[in-house]
Amino acid sequence: MKRIIIDREQCDGCLNCNVACISAHQEGSNFYTVNLGSADSQSRNFIKFDPKTGYTPIFCRHCDEPECVLSCMSGAMQKDPVSGHVSYDEAKCAACYMCVMNCPFGVLTPDRQTRTKVIRCDFCEDQPDGPSCVRACPKQAIEVKEVSR
Amino acid sequence: MKIIIIGASAAGISAARTIKEVEPNTQVTVISRDDCVHSRCMLHHFLGHERDEAGISFVDGHFFADNHITWLKNTAVVGLNTAAKAVTTDDGQELFFDKLLIATGASYFVPPIPGLREATNVYGFRDLKDARLLDAECETAKNAVVIGAGLVGMDAASALLKRGLKVTVIEMMDHTLGLQLDEKSARPYQQHFAAHGADFLLSEKVVAVDLDETGRGVTIQLASGKSIPADVIVIAAGVRPSFDFLDKTGIATEKAILVGDDLQTNVADIYAAGDVTGLSGIWPNAMKQGRIAAINMLGERLLYNDRFAIKNTVNFYGLTTLSLGNINPQPEENFDVIVREDHSSYRKIIMKDGHISGVIIQGDIGGTGFLQHLIKQQIDLSGLDKDVCDLEYSDFYAVDPENGEYHYAV
Repeated sequence: MKRIIIDREQCDGCLNCNVACISAHQEGSNFYTVNLGSADSQSRNFIKFDPKTGYTPIFCRHCDEPECVLSCMSGAMQKDPVSGHVSYDEAKCAACYMCVMNCPFGVLTPDRQTRTKVIRCDFCEDQPDGPSCVRACPKQAIEVKEVSR
Repeated sequence: MKIIIIGASAAGISAARTIKEVEPNTQVTVISRDDCVHSRCMLHHFLGHERDEAGISFVDGHFFADNHITWLKNTAVVGLNTAAKAVTTDDGQELFFDKLLIATGASYFVPPIPGLREATNVYGFRDLKDARLLDAECETAKNAVVIGAGLVGMDAASALLKRGLKVTVIEMMDHTLGLQLDEKSARPYQQHFAAHGADFLLSEKVVAVDLDETGRGVTIQLASGKSIPADVIVIAAGVRPSFDFLDKTGIATEKAILVGDDLQTNVADIYAAGDVTGLSGIWPNAMKQGRIAAINMLGERLLYNDRFAIKNTVNFYGLTTLSLGNINPQPEENFDVIVREDHSSYRKIIMKDGHISGVIIQGDIGGTGFLQHLIKQQIDLSGLDKDVCDLEYSDFYAVDPENGEYHYAV
Protein backbone atom coordinates (compact mmCIF):
# COMPACT_ATOMS: atom_id res chain seq x y z
CA MET A 1 0.00 0.00 0.00
CA LYS A 2 0.94 3.64 -0.34
CA ARG A 3 1.83 5.51 2.84
CA ILE A 4 2.88 9.10 3.45
CA ILE A 5 6.46 8.99 4.70
CA ILE A 6 8.05 12.04 6.33
CA ASP A 7 11.76 12.60 6.80
CA ARG A 8 11.72 14.23 10.20
CA GLU A 9 15.32 15.44 9.82
CA GLN A 10 14.32 17.48 6.77
CA CYS A 11 11.30 19.13 8.43
CA ASP A 12 11.87 22.72 9.44
CA GLY A 13 8.38 23.29 10.82
CA CYS A 14 7.14 25.72 8.15
CA LEU A 15 3.59 24.26 8.36
CA ASN A 16 3.02 24.46 4.62
CA CYS A 17 1.67 20.90 4.91
CA ASN A 18 -0.91 22.14 7.44
CA VAL A 19 -2.05 24.98 5.21
CA ALA A 20 -2.20 22.72 2.15
CA CYS A 21 -4.26 20.17 4.09
CA ILE A 22 -6.74 22.77 5.32
CA SER A 23 -7.03 24.26 1.84
CA ALA A 24 -7.55 20.85 0.23
CA HIS A 25 -10.56 20.33 2.50
CA GLN A 26 -12.00 23.82 2.19
CA GLU A 27 -14.22 23.94 -0.86
CA GLY A 28 -12.89 26.18 -3.63
CA SER A 29 -9.90 27.53 -1.74
CA ASN A 30 -6.24 27.54 -2.69
CA PHE A 31 -3.03 28.36 -0.89
CA TYR A 32 -3.67 32.11 -1.26
CA THR A 33 -7.38 32.24 -0.52
CA VAL A 34 -7.62 29.64 2.25
CA ASN A 35 -9.28 31.09 5.34
CA LEU A 36 -7.20 29.87 8.26
CA GLY A 37 -9.31 31.84 10.70
CA SER A 38 -12.58 30.06 9.99
CA ALA A 39 -13.79 27.55 12.56
CA ASP A 40 -13.68 24.69 10.08
CA SER A 41 -9.97 25.20 9.38
CA GLN A 42 -8.59 22.04 10.85
CA SER A 43 -5.52 20.32 9.52
CA ARG A 44 -5.46 16.55 9.28
CA ASN A 45 -1.70 16.51 9.85
CA PHE A 46 0.28 18.00 12.71
CA ILE A 47 3.78 19.28 13.28
CA LYS A 48 4.62 19.26 16.98
CA PHE A 49 7.47 21.37 18.29
CA ASP A 50 9.54 20.66 21.35
CA PRO A 51 12.63 22.74 22.18
CA LYS A 52 14.64 19.59 22.83
CA THR A 53 13.55 17.25 20.08
CA GLY A 54 12.62 19.78 17.41
CA TYR A 55 9.79 19.18 14.93
CA THR A 56 7.77 15.98 14.98
CA PRO A 57 5.44 15.34 12.05
CA ILE A 58 2.31 13.38 12.99
CA PHE A 59 0.43 12.15 9.92
CA CYS A 60 -2.23 9.42 9.76
CA ARG A 61 -0.55 6.07 9.03
CA HIS A 62 -3.65 4.34 7.63
CA CYS A 63 -2.37 1.57 9.91
CA ASP A 64 -2.11 -2.06 8.88
CA GLU A 65 -4.37 -2.95 11.84
CA PRO A 66 -6.30 0.29 12.24
CA GLU A 67 -7.68 0.76 15.74
CA CYS A 68 -10.01 3.46 14.44
CA VAL A 69 -11.77 1.00 12.13
CA LEU A 70 -12.15 -1.55 14.92
CA SER A 71 -13.67 1.10 17.15
CA CYS A 72 -16.12 2.44 14.58
CA MET A 73 -19.63 1.42 15.60
CA SER A 74 -21.36 3.11 12.67
CA GLY A 75 -19.41 1.49 9.83
CA ALA A 76 -18.24 4.93 8.69
CA MET A 77 -14.59 3.89 8.74
CA GLN A 78 -13.44 1.00 6.62
CA LYS A 79 -10.06 -0.30 5.63
CA ASP A 80 -10.09 -0.52 1.85
CA PRO A 81 -8.78 -3.98 0.95
CA VAL A 82 -7.34 -2.72 -2.34
CA SER A 83 -5.72 0.62 -1.48
CA GLY A 84 -5.09 -0.20 2.17
CA HIS A 85 -6.34 3.24 3.12
CA VAL A 86 -8.95 3.92 5.75
CA SER A 87 -12.00 5.49 4.19
CA TYR A 88 -14.43 7.64 6.14
CA ASP A 89 -18.08 8.26 5.33
CA GLU A 90 -19.10 11.44 7.10
CA ALA A 91 -22.81 10.79 6.55
CA LYS A 92 -22.62 7.43 8.34
CA CYS A 93 -20.54 8.72 11.25
CA ALA A 94 -22.49 9.13 14.49
CA ALA A 95 -19.75 11.18 16.18
CA CYS A 96 -19.31 8.79 19.11
CA TYR A 97 -15.55 9.47 18.98
CA MET A 98 -14.46 6.02 20.05
CA CYS A 99 -11.99 6.31 17.14
CA VAL A 100 -10.47 9.39 18.77
CA MET A 101 -10.17 7.41 21.99
CA ASN A 102 -8.62 4.42 20.26
CA CYS A 103 -6.07 5.98 17.88
CA PRO A 104 -2.80 5.17 19.68
CA PHE A 105 -1.04 8.04 17.94
CA GLY A 106 -3.49 10.79 18.73
CA VAL A 107 -4.06 11.60 15.07
CA LEU A 108 -7.86 11.71 15.10
CA THR A 109 -9.81 14.66 16.37
CA PRO A 110 -13.46 15.73 16.49
CA ASP A 111 -14.47 18.60 14.25
CA ARG A 112 -14.19 21.77 16.24
CA GLN A 113 -17.31 23.50 14.99
CA THR A 114 -20.15 20.99 15.23
CA ARG A 115 -18.81 17.88 17.01
CA THR A 116 -20.63 15.79 14.42
CA LYS A 117 -17.71 14.32 12.49
CA VAL A 118 -14.07 13.32 12.68
CA ILE A 119 -11.20 15.16 11.07
CA ARG A 120 -9.02 12.55 9.44
CA CYS A 121 -6.67 12.09 6.50
CA ASP A 122 -8.41 10.94 3.31
CA PHE A 123 -5.16 10.69 1.35
CA CYS A 124 -6.64 13.48 -0.83
CA GLU A 125 -8.34 10.65 -2.78
CA ASP A 126 -10.24 13.18 -4.88
CA GLN A 127 -7.10 15.00 -6.02
CA PRO A 128 -5.44 13.75 -9.20
CA ASP A 129 -1.94 14.62 -8.00
CA GLY A 130 -2.23 12.84 -4.67
CA PRO A 131 -1.89 14.17 -1.13
CA SER A 132 -1.67 17.95 -0.99
CA CYS A 133 0.77 17.89 1.96
CA VAL A 134 3.32 16.10 -0.19
CA ARG A 135 3.12 18.69 -2.95
CA ALA A 136 3.27 21.59 -0.50
CA CYS A 137 6.47 20.63 1.29
CA PRO A 138 9.27 22.99 0.18
CA LYS A 139 11.88 20.65 1.65
CA GLN A 140 10.58 17.57 -0.15
CA ALA A 141 10.51 15.95 3.28
CA ILE A 142 7.12 14.33 2.62
CA GLU A 143 6.62 11.64 0.01
CA VAL A 144 4.22 8.85 -0.87
CA LYS A 145 5.95 5.48 -0.75
CA GLU A 146 4.84 1.97 -1.50
CA VAL A 147 5.23 -0.07 1.68
CA SER A 148 4.61 -3.76 2.27
CA ARG A 149 1.69 -4.87 4.40
CA MET B 1 -14.57 -25.67 6.49
CA LYS B 2 -17.93 -24.74 7.99
CA ILE B 3 -18.11 -22.02 10.60
CA ILE B 4 -21.25 -21.01 12.43
CA ILE B 5 -21.42 -17.64 14.15
CA ILE B 6 -24.21 -16.96 16.62
CA GLY B 7 -24.90 -13.24 16.84
CA ALA B 8 -24.79 -10.42 14.31
CA SER B 9 -23.47 -7.51 16.33
CA ALA B 10 -19.90 -6.21 16.68
CA ALA B 11 -18.10 -9.47 17.48
CA GLY B 12 -20.13 -11.69 15.13
CA ILE B 13 -19.94 -9.41 12.12
CA SER B 14 -16.28 -8.61 12.71
CA ALA B 15 -15.55 -12.35 12.81
CA ALA B 16 -17.59 -13.07 9.67
CA ARG B 17 -15.86 -10.29 7.77
CA THR B 18 -12.40 -11.42 8.89
CA ILE B 19 -13.03 -15.05 7.92
CA LYS B 20 -14.10 -14.01 4.44
CA GLU B 21 -11.08 -11.71 4.09
CA VAL B 22 -8.59 -14.37 5.14
CA GLU B 23 -10.16 -17.58 3.75
CA PRO B 24 -12.91 -16.65 1.29
CA ASN B 25 -13.76 -20.29 0.65
CA THR B 26 -14.88 -20.92 4.21
CA GLN B 27 -18.61 -21.61 4.55
CA VAL B 28 -19.95 -19.09 7.02
CA THR B 29 -23.44 -19.07 8.54
CA VAL B 30 -24.51 -16.26 10.85
CA ILE B 31 -27.52 -16.93 13.07
CA SER B 32 -29.17 -14.00 14.79
CA ARG B 33 -32.34 -13.12 16.64
CA ASP B 34 -32.05 -9.68 15.05
CA ASP B 35 -33.74 -9.24 11.71
CA CYS B 36 -31.66 -6.21 10.91
CA VAL B 37 -27.95 -5.66 11.59
CA HIS B 38 -27.65 -2.60 13.76
CA SER B 39 -25.30 -0.79 16.05
CA ARG B 40 -26.73 -0.67 19.55
CA CYS B 41 -24.65 2.46 20.18
CA MET B 42 -26.93 4.22 17.69
CA LEU B 43 -30.32 3.09 18.99
CA HIS B 44 -30.97 6.56 20.38
CA HIS B 45 -30.62 8.00 16.89
CA PHE B 46 -33.31 5.58 15.73
CA LEU B 47 -35.63 6.26 18.65
CA GLY B 48 -35.02 10.00 18.28
CA HIS B 49 -36.10 9.73 14.59
CA GLU B 50 -32.75 11.04 13.39
CA ARG B 51 -31.99 7.81 11.55
CA ASP B 52 -34.03 4.96 10.14
CA GLU B 53 -33.20 1.26 10.52
CA ALA B 54 -30.79 1.28 7.58
CA GLY B 55 -29.15 4.36 9.09
CA ILE B 56 -28.11 2.52 12.23
CA SER B 57 -26.62 -0.45 10.41
CA PHE B 58 -22.83 -0.69 10.56
CA VAL B 59 -22.56 -2.82 7.43
CA ASP B 60 -23.94 -2.03 4.02
CA GLY B 61 -27.20 -3.59 2.91
CA HIS B 62 -25.53 -6.25 0.76
CA PHE B 63 -22.97 -7.38 3.33
CA PHE B 64 -24.11 -10.99 3.56
CA ALA B 65 -24.72 -11.45 -0.17
CA ASP B 66 -21.50 -9.71 -1.21
CA ASN B 67 -19.46 -11.87 1.15
CA HIS B 68 -21.34 -15.11 0.39
CA ILE B 69 -22.39 -15.52 4.00
CA THR B 70 -25.60 -17.36 4.90
CA TRP B 71 -27.64 -15.32 7.33
CA LEU B 72 -30.43 -16.91 9.36
CA LYS B 73 -32.19 -13.91 10.81
CA ASN B 74 -35.07 -13.94 13.29
CA THR B 75 -33.56 -17.19 14.50
CA ALA B 76 -32.45 -18.15 17.98
CA VAL B 77 -30.11 -20.99 18.85
CA VAL B 78 -31.80 -23.14 21.50
CA GLY B 79 -29.40 -26.06 21.79
CA LEU B 80 -25.81 -27.09 21.26
CA ASN B 81 -24.49 -30.63 20.90
CA THR B 82 -20.75 -30.40 21.39
CA ALA B 83 -20.12 -34.08 20.54
CA ALA B 84 -22.02 -33.99 17.26
CA LYS B 85 -20.84 -30.40 16.62
CA ALA B 86 -24.31 -29.14 15.87
CA VAL B 87 -26.59 -26.35 16.98
CA THR B 88 -30.37 -26.47 16.97
CA THR B 89 -32.50 -23.46 16.26
CA ASP B 90 -35.92 -22.38 17.49
CA ASP B 91 -37.40 -23.26 14.10
CA GLY B 92 -36.19 -26.86 14.44
CA GLN B 93 -33.14 -26.84 12.22
CA GLU B 94 -30.02 -28.78 13.13
CA LEU B 95 -26.90 -27.18 11.71
CA PHE B 96 -23.44 -28.75 11.77
CA PHE B 97 -20.18 -26.90 12.14
CA ASP B 98 -16.43 -27.46 12.19
CA LYS B 99 -15.95 -24.36 14.34
CA LEU B 100 -18.47 -22.34 16.29
CA LEU B 101 -18.32 -18.76 17.50
CA ILE B 102 -20.72 -17.72 20.23
CA ALA B 103 -21.22 -13.96 20.02
CA THR B 104 -24.65 -13.71 21.58
CA GLY B 105 -23.88 -10.55 23.52
CA ALA B 106 -25.77 -9.61 26.65
CA SER B 107 -29.33 -8.88 27.70
CA TYR B 108 -30.59 -6.13 29.91
CA PHE B 109 -31.28 -6.82 33.53
CA VAL B 110 -34.53 -5.91 35.29
CA PRO B 111 -33.91 -5.56 39.04
CA PRO B 112 -36.31 -7.44 41.32
CA ILE B 113 -38.29 -4.38 42.38
CA PRO B 114 -41.99 -4.97 43.09
CA GLY B 115 -44.03 -4.15 40.00
CA LEU B 116 -41.06 -3.51 37.74
CA ARG B 117 -40.79 -7.00 36.27
CA GLU B 118 -44.55 -7.33 35.97
CA ALA B 119 -45.30 -3.99 34.33
CA THR B 120 -46.02 -4.35 30.60
CA ASN B 121 -44.68 -0.91 29.70
CA VAL B 122 -41.10 -1.49 30.96
CA TYR B 123 -38.49 -1.68 28.22
CA GLY B 124 -34.77 -2.20 28.03
CA PHE B 125 -32.73 -0.25 25.51
CA ARG B 126 -30.46 -2.94 24.25
CA ASP B 127 -31.43 -3.77 20.69
CA LEU B 128 -33.57 -2.62 17.83
CA LYS B 129 -36.55 -4.65 19.06
CA ASP B 130 -36.55 -2.60 22.27
CA ALA B 131 -36.20 0.65 20.33
CA ARG B 132 -39.13 -0.28 18.06
CA LEU B 133 -41.34 -1.00 21.05
CA LEU B 134 -40.36 2.30 22.66
CA ASP B 135 -40.93 4.06 19.37
CA ALA B 136 -44.51 2.80 19.35
CA GLU B 137 -45.05 3.91 22.96
CA CYS B 138 -43.79 7.39 22.08
CA GLU B 139 -46.83 7.86 19.84
CA THR B 140 -49.08 8.19 22.90
CA ALA B 141 -46.91 8.45 26.02
CA LYS B 142 -46.30 11.80 27.68
CA ASN B 143 -44.24 10.94 30.76
CA ALA B 144 -41.16 8.77 30.42
CA VAL B 145 -39.12 7.52 33.34
CA VAL B 146 -35.59 6.25 32.79
CA ILE B 147 -34.15 4.13 35.60
CA GLY B 148 -30.36 4.36 35.55
CA ALA B 149 -28.25 7.28 34.33
CA GLY B 150 -25.40 5.34 32.76
CA LEU B 151 -24.63 5.75 29.06
CA VAL B 152 -27.57 3.59 27.97
CA GLY B 153 -30.01 5.45 30.19
CA MET B 154 -28.72 8.81 29.00
CA ASP B 155 -28.89 7.67 25.36
CA ALA B 156 -32.51 6.68 25.89
CA ALA B 157 -33.29 9.92 27.73
CA SER B 158 -31.79 12.03 24.93
CA ALA B 159 -33.96 10.27 22.35
CA LEU B 160 -37.14 10.50 24.45
CA LEU B 161 -36.51 14.23 24.92
CA LYS B 162 -36.15 14.57 21.17
CA ARG B 163 -39.54 12.92 20.80
CA GLY B 164 -41.04 15.55 23.04
CA LEU B 165 -41.72 13.44 26.11
CA LYS B 166 -41.35 14.67 29.65
CA VAL B 167 -38.36 12.67 30.86
CA THR B 168 -37.39 11.90 34.45
CA VAL B 169 -34.10 10.10 35.04
CA ILE B 170 -33.66 8.24 38.34
CA GLU B 171 -30.16 7.33 39.49
CA MET B 172 -28.80 5.77 42.68
CA MET B 173 -25.45 7.58 42.45
CA ASP B 174 -25.12 11.29 43.17
CA HIS B 175 -24.32 12.07 39.53
CA THR B 176 -25.03 10.78 36.05
CA LEU B 177 -22.69 8.63 33.93
CA GLY B 178 -21.08 7.33 37.09
CA LEU B 179 -18.80 4.81 35.37
CA GLN B 180 -17.40 7.45 33.02
CA LEU B 181 -17.50 10.74 34.88
CA ASP B 182 -16.86 12.36 38.20
CA GLU B 183 -19.36 14.70 39.76
CA LYS B 184 -17.77 17.76 38.18
CA SER B 185 -17.70 16.47 34.59
CA ALA B 186 -21.22 15.06 34.93
CA ARG B 187 -22.71 18.41 35.91
CA PRO B 188 -22.55 20.09 32.47
CA TYR B 189 -24.34 17.08 30.92
CA GLN B 190 -27.06 17.29 33.53
CA GLN B 191 -27.40 20.98 32.71
CA HIS B 192 -27.69 20.28 28.98
CA PHE B 193 -30.29 17.59 29.56
CA ALA B 194 -32.19 19.78 32.01
CA ALA B 195 -32.19 22.62 29.49
CA HIS B 196 -33.87 20.20 27.08
CA GLY B 197 -36.52 19.34 29.64
CA ALA B 198 -35.14 16.42 31.66
CA ASP B 199 -35.54 16.08 35.41
CA PHE B 200 -32.91 14.22 37.39
CA LEU B 201 -33.58 12.46 40.65
CA LEU B 202 -30.10 11.57 41.90
CA SER B 203 -29.16 9.54 44.99
CA GLU B 204 -32.62 8.04 44.61
CA LYS B 205 -33.85 4.49 44.54
CA VAL B 206 -36.95 2.96 43.00
CA VAL B 207 -38.75 0.86 45.62
CA ALA B 208 -41.92 -0.08 43.76
CA VAL B 209 -43.87 0.43 40.57
CA ASP B 210 -47.65 0.72 40.93
CA LEU B 211 -49.62 -0.98 38.17
CA ASP B 212 -53.00 -0.01 36.76
CA GLU B 213 -55.76 -2.54 36.05
CA THR B 214 -54.25 -3.33 32.62
CA GLY B 215 -50.86 -4.17 34.10
CA ARG B 216 -49.05 -1.04 33.04
CA GLY B 217 -46.72 0.72 35.46
CA VAL B 218 -48.20 4.14 36.15
CA THR B 219 -46.45 5.41 39.27
CA ILE B 220 -42.83 5.00 40.36
CA GLN B 221 -42.37 4.98 44.13
CA LEU B 222 -39.01 6.21 45.39
CA ALA B 223 -37.12 5.54 48.61
CA SER B 224 -37.39 9.23 49.52
CA GLY B 225 -41.18 8.95 49.49
CA LYS B 226 -41.59 10.81 46.21
CA SER B 227 -43.74 9.31 43.48
CA ILE B 228 -43.39 9.96 39.76
CA PRO B 229 -46.06 9.41 37.08
CA ALA B 230 -45.02 7.21 34.17
CA ASP B 231 -46.56 6.29 30.83
CA VAL B 232 -43.47 4.44 29.68
CA ILE B 233 -40.51 3.12 31.70
CA VAL B 234 -36.97 2.44 30.45
CA ILE B 235 -34.78 0.22 32.56
CA ALA B 236 -31.05 0.85 32.14
CA ALA B 237 -29.56 -0.90 35.14
CA GLY B 238 -26.91 -2.92 33.38
CA VAL B 239 -26.69 -6.08 31.30
CA ARG B 240 -25.81 -9.73 31.79
CA PRO B 241 -24.04 -12.01 29.29
CA SER B 242 -26.58 -14.02 27.36
CA PHE B 243 -26.02 -17.77 26.94
CA ASP B 244 -29.15 -19.65 28.09
CA PHE B 245 -28.74 -22.34 25.43
CA LEU B 246 -25.46 -23.59 26.95
CA ASP B 247 -27.16 -25.35 29.89
CA LYS B 248 -25.75 -28.87 30.30
CA THR B 249 -23.44 -28.57 27.29
CA GLY B 250 -20.25 -28.76 29.35
CA ILE B 251 -19.10 -25.31 28.20
CA ALA B 252 -17.57 -23.61 31.22
CA THR B 253 -19.34 -20.48 32.32
CA GLU B 254 -19.55 -18.30 35.36
CA LYS B 255 -21.31 -14.98 34.91
CA ALA B 256 -19.97 -15.08 31.36
CA ILE B 257 -18.59 -17.72 29.00
CA LEU B 258 -15.03 -18.49 30.06
CA VAL B 259 -12.43 -18.28 27.31
CA GLY B 260 -8.68 -18.61 27.08
CA ASP B 261 -6.41 -15.96 25.59
CA ASP B 262 -7.12 -17.48 22.18
CA LEU B 263 -10.86 -16.91 22.87
CA GLN B 264 -11.57 -20.63 22.74
CA THR B 265 -13.90 -22.06 25.36
CA ASN B 266 -13.00 -25.17 27.34
CA VAL B 267 -14.47 -27.20 24.46
CA ALA B 268 -12.20 -27.43 21.42
CA ASP B 269 -13.37 -25.63 18.28
CA ILE B 270 -15.95 -23.59 20.16
CA TYR B 271 -15.04 -19.95 20.62
CA ALA B 272 -16.72 -16.95 22.17
CA ALA B 273 -16.27 -13.22 21.60
CA GLY B 274 -17.85 -9.94 22.59
CA ASP B 275 -20.03 -9.09 25.58
CA VAL B 276 -20.87 -12.75 26.20
CA THR B 277 -17.28 -13.34 27.39
CA GLY B 278 -17.53 -10.64 30.05
CA LEU B 279 -14.06 -9.44 29.01
CA SER B 280 -15.35 -6.04 28.02
CA GLY B 281 -18.62 -4.31 27.31
CA ILE B 282 -17.33 -1.96 24.70
CA TRP B 283 -17.56 -1.96 20.92
CA PRO B 284 -13.87 -1.71 19.91
CA ASN B 285 -12.95 -4.67 22.11
CA ALA B 286 -15.82 -6.78 20.81
CA MET B 287 -14.71 -6.05 17.24
CA LYS B 288 -11.14 -7.02 18.08
CA GLN B 289 -12.25 -10.20 19.84
CA GLY B 290 -14.35 -11.18 16.83
CA ARG B 291 -11.38 -10.64 14.58
CA ILE B 292 -8.97 -12.61 16.75
CA ALA B 293 -11.43 -15.50 17.28
CA ALA B 294 -11.93 -15.64 13.49
CA ILE B 295 -8.22 -15.85 12.78
CA ASN B 296 -7.82 -18.56 15.43
CA MET B 297 -10.75 -20.56 14.05
CA LEU B 298 -8.88 -20.54 10.74
CA GLY B 299 -5.95 -22.26 12.43
CA GLU B 300 -3.65 -19.43 13.50
CA ARG B 301 -2.94 -18.70 17.13
CA LEU B 302 -3.40 -15.05 18.01
CA LEU B 303 -3.79 -14.06 21.62
CA TYR B 304 -6.25 -11.50 22.88
CA ASN B 305 -4.29 -9.24 25.20
CA ASP B 306 -6.19 -5.96 24.91
CA ARG B 307 -7.64 -6.34 28.39
CA PHE B 308 -8.05 -2.66 29.13
CA ALA B 309 -11.79 -2.20 28.89
CA ILE B 310 -12.70 0.68 31.18
CA LYS B 311 -12.85 3.34 28.55
CA ASN B 312 -15.47 5.37 26.79
CA THR B 313 -16.33 8.57 25.07
CA VAL B 314 -19.43 10.65 25.69
CA ASN B 315 -20.96 13.09 23.23
CA PHE B 316 -24.29 14.69 24.12
CA TYR B 317 -25.35 18.07 22.78
CA GLY B 318 -21.88 18.57 21.30
CA LEU B 319 -20.09 18.28 24.65
CA THR B 320 -17.41 15.61 24.31
CA THR B 321 -15.64 13.69 27.05
CA LEU B 322 -13.01 10.97 27.06
CA SER B 323 -12.92 8.68 30.09
CA LEU B 324 -10.28 6.05 30.81
CA GLY B 325 -9.60 3.77 33.74
CA ASN B 326 -10.11 4.54 37.39
CA ILE B 327 -11.66 8.00 37.39
CA ASN B 328 -13.08 8.17 40.89
CA PRO B 329 -10.20 7.01 43.11
CA GLN B 330 -10.83 6.51 46.80
CA PRO B 331 -8.72 8.59 49.21
CA GLU B 332 -7.15 5.47 50.72
CA GLU B 333 -5.79 4.53 47.30
CA ASN B 334 -3.34 7.43 47.62
CA PHE B 335 -3.37 8.58 44.02
CA ASP B 336 -2.11 11.91 42.77
CA VAL B 337 -4.93 13.77 41.09
CA ILE B 338 -3.88 16.43 38.62
CA VAL B 339 -6.59 18.80 37.45
CA ARG B 340 -6.45 21.51 34.84
CA GLU B 341 -9.54 23.43 33.84
CA ASP B 342 -10.79 26.58 32.21
CA HIS B 343 -14.25 27.77 31.20
CA SER B 344 -14.66 25.21 28.43
CA SER B 345 -12.43 22.30 29.29
CA TYR B 346 -11.60 20.02 32.17
CA ARG B 347 -8.72 17.60 32.45
CA LYS B 348 -8.24 15.24 35.35
CA ILE B 349 -5.40 12.76 35.41
CA ILE B 350 -5.07 10.17 38.16
CA MET B 351 -1.54 8.90 38.74
CA LYS B 352 0.64 6.95 41.07
CA ASP B 353 4.42 6.54 40.91
CA GLY B 354 4.67 8.05 37.44
CA HIS B 355 1.96 5.82 35.93
CA ILE B 356 -1.46 7.01 34.77
CA SER B 357 -4.41 4.97 35.96
CA GLY B 358 -7.33 7.20 35.06
CA VAL B 359 -8.20 10.12 32.80
CA ILE B 360 -11.16 12.42 32.23
CA ILE B 361 -10.86 14.93 29.42
CA GLN B 362 -13.87 17.10 28.75
CA GLY B 363 -14.12 19.67 25.99
CA ASP B 364 -11.44 19.31 23.34
CA ILE B 365 -10.61 15.59 23.17
CA GLY B 366 -8.71 15.85 19.88
CA GLY B 367 -5.49 13.86 19.72
CA THR B 368 -6.00 12.21 23.12
CA GLY B 369 -6.05 8.60 21.90
CA PHE B 370 -2.46 8.05 23.00
CA LEU B 371 -3.49 8.31 26.67
CA GLN B 372 -5.15 4.91 26.53
CA HIS B 373 -1.88 3.47 25.30
CA LEU B 374 0.01 5.05 28.21
CA ILE B 375 -2.37 3.38 30.68
CA LYS B 376 -2.58 0.05 28.87
CA GLN B 377 1.17 -0.33 28.55
CA GLN B 378 1.74 1.17 32.02
CA ILE B 379 4.34 3.51 30.56
CA ASP B 380 6.49 5.16 33.23
CA LEU B 381 6.28 8.94 32.91
CA SER B 382 8.33 9.84 35.96
CA GLY B 383 11.44 10.68 33.94
CA LEU B 384 9.64 13.07 31.60
CA ASP B 385 10.33 16.73 32.08
CA LYS B 386 6.83 17.80 31.10
CA ASP B 387 3.49 18.46 32.75
CA VAL B 388 1.38 15.35 32.28
CA CYS B 389 -1.49 17.50 30.97
CA ASP B 390 0.74 18.69 28.13
CA LEU B 391 1.86 15.25 26.96
CA GLU B 392 1.18 14.27 23.38
CA TYR B 393 1.98 11.23 21.28
CA SER B 394 4.92 13.18 19.81
CA ASP B 395 6.67 12.82 23.17
CA PHE B 396 6.88 9.09 22.46
CA TYR B 397 7.36 9.30 18.70
CA ALA B 398 9.08 6.44 16.93
CA VAL B 399 8.81 5.24 13.33
CA ASP B 400 9.37 1.84 11.79
CA PRO B 401 11.97 2.56 9.07
CA GLU B 402 10.65 -0.28 6.89
CA ASN B 403 6.96 0.52 6.61
CA GLY B 404 6.59 3.95 8.20
CA GLU B 405 4.20 2.80 10.94
CA TYR B 406 4.38 4.61 14.25
CA HIS B 407 5.17 3.01 17.55
CA TYR B 408 6.25 4.07 21.02
CA ALA B 409 9.78 4.99 22.04
CA VAL B 410 9.91 4.01 25.69
